[in-house]
Formats: sequence, structure tokens, C-alpha cells
Amino acid sequence: MNQLKKWKSMKKMNKKNQDVLIQFKNLTKKFGDFYAVKDVNLEIREGEIVGFLGPNGAGKTTTMKMMAYLLKPNEGEVWIRANGELQKLTRNNKDYLLDNIGFLIEIPAFYGKVTPQEILKYFAKLKGYPRNKLDNRIDTVLDMLGMLEWKDKKIGTFSKGMRQKIGIVSAIIHDPDIIVLDEPQTGLDPKARKEVREFILELKQTGKTFFLSSHLLYEISEVADKIAIIDHGELIAFDTLDNLEATTRKSIINFELINTEDKSQKEFLERIKNIIQPLTGIEKDLSWVKHNENTGVFQVFFDGDPLKQLKILKALIDDGFKIIEFSVPKAGLLEDLFIELTTPEVK
Amino acid sequence: MNSRKQQEQILIDEIIVDRERAGLKRNITQIGNTITFEFKKNLKNFILMLIVFTSVFFLLLLISELQLAQDVVLPSDPVFYIDDYTGQLFGFLIIISASLFGGSIIVEDFKKQTGNLLFPKISKTRLLIGRLTSRYTLNAICIGFYYVLISILTFVKYNEIPINLLASLGWALLYTFTILTFVTFMSSIMRSTAATIIVSILFLLIVFNIVTMILSFAGLTMEPLFLLTYYEGIITGSLSMPNPRYTEIRMQQHGGEFTTFTQWLTPTEPAALIGMLIYISIFLTLTYFLYKRRQSKNE
Repeated sequence: MNQLKKWKSMKKMNKKNQDVLIQFKNLTKKFGDFYAVKDVNLEIREGEIVGFLGPNGAGKTTTMKMMAYLLKPNEGEVWIRANGELQKLTRNNKDYLLDNIGFLIEIPAFYGKVTPQEILKYFAKLKGYPRNKLDNRIDTVLDMLGMLEWKDKKIGTFSKGMRQKIGIVSAIIHDPDIIVLDEPQTGLDPKARKEVREFILELKQTGKTFFLSSHLLYEISEVADKIAIIDHGELIAFDTLDNLEATTRKSIINFELINTEDKSQKEFLERIKNIIQPLTGIEKDLSWVKHNENTGVFQVFFDGDPLKQLKILKALIDDGFKIIEFSVPKAGLLEDLFIELTTPEVK
Repeated sequence: MNSRKQQEQILIDEIIVDRERAGLKRNITQIGNTITFEFKKNLKNFILMLIVFTSVFFLLLLISELQLAQDVVLPSDPVFYIDDYTGQLFGFLIIISASLFGGSIIVEDFKKQTGNLLFPKISKTRLLIGRLTSRYTLNAICIGFYYVLISILTFVKYNEIPINLLASLGWALLYTFTILTFVTFMSSIMRSTAATIIVSILFLLIVFNIVTMILSFAGLTMEPLFLLTYYEGIITGSLSMPNPRYTEIRMQQHGGEFTTFTQWLTPTEPAALIGMLIYISIFLTLTYFLYKRRQSKNE
């Protein structure tokens, strides 16, 4: 009878959240008296890339480990969709539910004497990937990250970045729909970071869902549809980058001009300040306009409202300034948001 | 209404049964996959141990042939010829090979952090079963190969192979598994593979022998069934049961009176079987719980 009730409540919930693949409900983990994760509620929807940000020790990896059932929550639940149903993760169904998720949690380490081909074959078999399609799958995913030519070389000879790439490949080798990556771009050079970024976006195009944690805010801002920010174990923000911007109402505009006037740089900056500052939506004491003489870039602190952004642009044009660049950098925004939300003094 | 409820219940039951089946099948497949992967991973150790076992065999053969050349008579019973090959040196080989195969079994995933990739793809229990099975199989093949060489030699020398050799092989395999479970237990508490191998060998070769000697010199005549390495004696002892199970050594202390010390050679077959099974159970149970605890601590 109890099972029937559970079954019905499950069906009701499934109808409500058709596209939710992962759901954390009041997820809590304590180590002694210390709350590593406290009352985290989060939903990850199909096809989304959710960036998971937080300072060191904020609870990112602990959350991911509870999702992988490597740690048991003290309170709360993790719900995962499998075969169309959202189901609570338990000891009995963890294999079945986690089959559809690829995990890379913490820095990957490999047995040095084996090759990528051997280890990937082992991991894919563990997850029940069809044997007759295995070789083809290994070649495809290694090729996506430019590692195909290394497939028969011993991993012991690989650089840190190459190992990281093999770690990412090992998370997706069994073709899961949900991919959970903890700091995937750590230790990679800029070229490899770009490759991983493109790889994530390429997989997104095929309908994959991502849950990514990273310290590299730029990498997250380039790929994520939504950002979750965790601090001291508590989820302090979860929304799209644009909505977060609208919530905090603070952002920065970068612009470049051609100075055709004879006035000094100082006078030129004063003139711009006088035009822009009344339009920023920020109190006079807090508002600022800066100029970097080396790069030639002007920066304006404004309230993040797109209409204000438009007014500022229009005012500059109307006043005869020759604008060659005008943008709101997302990475900078994310960095500011992150600091603002995770630093008590700023909060 | 009732029948609808019944139908829903049947549906739930079917799903549960289906998943349980999938779960069991998955468990077995994952253990099988782990065994295959571990065979490849431990291939070098396996080849190395095969070479060591073969070398020791030929070394013992060379010594035996040199003795025969110096007018030592070939024993009339093949069993007394064989026991040169299954004696203490063979026991030492078992300890070395079990330590080599089992030293890294648990600790490597914590030392190298390879566990970050393995879990949650496979559970700790399945991984341990797969690893223990594969490493024991490789170890057992080395032991089996050594006994094949002994059989061939005995056949060449005596034109027969004593049936007791099979019993000795059986005891050697059981003793190897007991030692492997001890090394696995050490691997669950140590911090590196090298430390596990060194500490295991030290315990098995030195500490246990020192305890035996102390007990013997203390004049205790009680059979040391509580000492793991004592069970090694059954490998040779089983060749000619009922063997003398102990010897008495008379020694003069500081020029004074003679004292008799009891040196136990082999347990009885039932005692050996029960003793080793108890040891295996204790080591595997402790390993399982320590491994589980270590998992939650480190992760």
C-alpha cells in the first residue's frame, strides 16, 4: 500500500517537472557539527548547462559526491530521471539511476601502465555499453578532444592536461545524457581549455545536460545557461546570468572612443563623466567612470539595466563621441557577481 | 477500482523484479570486467613471478643434483624427494608473490587517487571481489606451474607422480589465499603499496617467526594454531601424513642442564582447514569494514 502511495506521488511529481533531470531537495551534509552543504534545493533541466560556482570549501564537490552516492546526505534527497521517471536516489537503485550520468569528480588519476584504449574500454564495459560498438565509441570521443593518436600510448607518459582530457572522456564514454564535471578545465593550457569548451558546447548540441563546477569563471560564463553559486554550504543564487545581473542590478560597461578633441585626457574624462554618471542608476557617491591609459578602455559602473545601457550609448553618440567598441563583458560580470555574493562585506 | 489497484501493484512488482535482475546481472558483469582488466594490469607482475618460481625450482634442482653427484642416495620414496621443493623456501616464495600481487589491491586507489575515476562507476565491494579473484588466480597459476615442474621432475626420477602431491598443491593454494587476504587487510590500512609489501613481508617472515621462537624457548608446548605462518607446514606435512607433527630439540644452556624445546612442524589437516578459514574470514571481514570506512573518510 505504501509503495502504491509512493508510486502515485512520483507520477504526480513527474507530470509537474517533465524536463527536470536532476533535483536536489533540501540536500544537507554534516561532518560533525560542520555543515558542508545545507538545505540545497536545485533543479537541472534537460539540455541545460548549469555552472556551479563557489569559493574553495564552499561545498561544490560534496554536493557532487552526494549526487554520485559517494557520500550519503544527512538530510534531503537527490532525484534523478531515468526512463522518463524522476526517482529518489537510494542504495538499491543507484546503479540503475547513475547509469545515465557521467561523473568526473576531483582531479583524475590513472594507472600509468595502461593505455587510454584499455582504461576506457574497462569503464565503458562497467557501465554496460554495447561491446560491439565500443571501439568505434572510443575513437569518436578521443577524436573529439584531439587525443585519438594517443589511444595506444601508456598514460604514464601523458602531461597533466592530457590526463585531464582522458578524465573528461572517461566520464562520457558510456554516452550518458547527464554529465557532471568537477573543475574540468583545471590544469589545461588556454588552447586545451578552448577545446574543452567547444567539446561541451558540441555535446550540448546533441541534447546532453551538464552540471559543471569551476573556479575559472570565464569558462563557466562562456558555456553555462544557468549559474548556481554556493557559499558556506548554502546555495545563495541560482538563475541565468542575465537574471542574476538583473537581480543584483550592477554591471560594468567597457567602451573605447577615438579622442578627436584637443582637450587633455583629464578634461576629456571629466566631460564623459558628466554625461554618463546621471544615467548609470547608481548613487553619485558610488558611481564611477575609469579610463585605462594603456589599453584606452573606459569603464562605467552602472545598475545593469539594459535600458540604462542603451541610454548611455545614445548619450555618447549624441554628444559626438566616436565609439569603436561598446560591450558588457560577461566574465567580468560573473566575477563581480561571484565576489559580491560570496564576500560578506560586499553583500 | 480494486482491479486497477491490483494492476498498478503488478506493474510496480514487475519493475522492481526487472531492476533486481538487472542489478544482479550488472554485479556479475562488473566483477568479470574487473577481473579481465586486472589480468592485463598485473601481467608484468605475473611474468616476473613465473620467472622467480621457475628460477627457484631450477636452483633447488641444481642443489639436489650436486648432492646426488656427491654420493647422496636418492630417497626411495618420491615424497621425501619432493619435500625439498615444498619446504621453507617455497613458503617464502608464497609470501613474496602474495605480497606483490596483493600489496596494491586497495591502497593504490587512495595513494594515486585513481578512486576518483573508478567510483561511482563500480562499487567498492565489486571492485574488491574482482581484484581479489584476478590477483589470486594469477598467484595460483604461478603455484600451479611450480607444481607442474615438480610433477615432471618426479615422473622423470621415479616414473610416477605421488597422489599426495595434489593434496600438497591444494594446501599450498589455500595457504596462498590466506596470505593474500592478510596482505589485502594490510593494504586497507597502509598508506602506500611499497609500505604494504614491506610491512607484510616483515610480519610474515620475521615477526611471526620470532613469536614462534619465543614461545618455543619459553617452554610452551601448546600448538601455535594462532600463528598464521604455522599453517605453511601443512604443505610439506600433507605429503606424508601422519607426519611427526613436532620435534623435540635438546639444548644445553650455559654449560648447565639440558632443556627440551618443542618445535611444531605441521597442524593436522582438519586444524589447518579450520584455522585458515577462520583467518580468511577475519581478514576479509576486517578489510571490508576498513575499506568502507576509508571510503567515507577520504571521499
